[in-house]
Amino acid sequence: MADTNRHVFEESLKKLEAASENLKKDNISLEDALKNFEKGIKYYNECSEILNSAKQKIETYTK
Amino acid sequence: MAIKPVSVSQLNGYIKRILQTDPLLGNVSVVGEVSNLKYHGSGHVYFTLKDANSKISCFLPHDRAEALRYELSEGMEITASGYIYLYERGGSYSLNIRDIEVAGLGNLAIAFEKLKSKLEAEGLFDPAKKKAIPSFPEKIAVVTSETGAAVRDILKIIKNRNDYVDVLIYPVLVQGPAAAGEIAAAINHINEKWPDTDTIITGRGGGSMEELWAFNEEIVARAIYASAIPVISAVGHETDFTIADFAADIRAETPTAAAHMAVPDINELKEYISTVMDRLSMGMDKYIQLKEMQLKNLDLETFRKDLESRITMEQMRIDSMNAENMTFMQNTLNALSQKIESCRENLEALDPTAIMKRGYSAVTDSNGTFINTVKALNPEDKLIIHMHDGNAACTVDEVRGD
Repeated sequence: MADTNRHVFEESLKKLEAASENLKKDNISLEDALKNFEKGIKYYNECSEILNSAKQKIETYTK
Repeated sequence: MAIKPVSVSQLNGYIKRILQTDPLLGNVSVVGEVSNLKYHGSGHVYFTLKDANSKISCFLPHDRAEALRYELSEGMEITASGYIYLYERGGSYSLNIRDIEVAGLGNLAIAFEKLKSKLEAEGLFDPAKKKAIPSFPEKIAVVTSETGAAVRDILKIIKNRNDYVDVLIYPVLVQGPAAAGEIAAAINHINEKWPDTDTIITGRGGGSMEELWAFNEEIVARAIYASAIPVISAVGHETDFTIADFAADIRAETPTAAAHMAVPDINELKEYISTVMDRLSMGMDKYIQLKEMQLKNLDLETFRKDLESRITMEQMRIDSMNAENMTFMQNTLNALSQKIESCRENLEALDPTAIMKRGYSAVTDSNGTFINTVKALNPEDKLIIHMHDGNAACTVDEVRGD
């Protein structure tokens, strides 16, 4: 598995959380607020996609 | 019968041959208490095995000592198996040990504490070295018996909570002399072959201290400590503590608990991200409302009102300045009028006609120049006498000085 694929969920979740916090900042511009909102939706979709993928494999190692 | 005297070497050689060809002494198991335990720099171990009445020197070679499943300690009762060896130069014999078994809770507890102190001193349990268990693993490996209760419990919990994470079951023996080696090799192998594994769970279901012993062996503790992948230990029940638990990044009380620690609940996460998404939407709505309000404050009507009130204020300011000016002007005029009046009064007081009315007259020559001395007069000069109601032309008859 490529290393770039790891921890995607944690990263996206962190960014989603950050996006929801960013809007509370006092002097955020309308442009930034909209950009931030769009990104938040994007991260939410990424998280959601992972959580709904049900890709689980269960294997037993044989020598 | 007397035989011819022999040398010491010959005698010891003979005894050695007798001892070392005896089938019983070539493979003997002895029960006794460890005393006078010495670790030689070469890695060999020397000690004495004794009971109430007797004792025997024991030699544990380096390679056997390393493979030993138990940490030896003074006063511990062990069963040592090996063969009798005679050291010809010293004329002494000893038990050369192939393997050692330890039985009984007390003896196992001694071995446990001994190894625990040793590894603790080496830093294998250092809290600063513990790795965090990844919160959202892609892949976890389970090192346990394929047929045990532990693997069933772990899989059940994982499947209940999480349909995303991949699971690799790595079957190993979890009890008996070979178990520890297999467990350690499995942990090393997973680190080599699947370094992308997020978490390793190793453990087994409940059992006696002897049955759990593999998890108290040094080789397992070292493999866990060396693992770059975080390890959760899950051995037996809540009350069972093993050396593996101390070396692991985190101890789970049971295999079930280990599964809970290793994987997050997908449904809980789905709920959580929805909550965060709601917060984001609400935050955006609030932000837009705020901006709308700010915009409202900036519209033309408000601007007009602001301007009007500003104009009114300026008007009032100008009016009051004007009134102040008017008052000042009036006051100045009044003062000047008074001054003129007083000058007029002064002038009136000095008016010559008023004096003439009292009987005085002024004398001028015919040109109108005042004459105020007789010295300027000669007889026959023409004079004009001015009175308050007219004048008279006269001629001087005679000049008389006083």
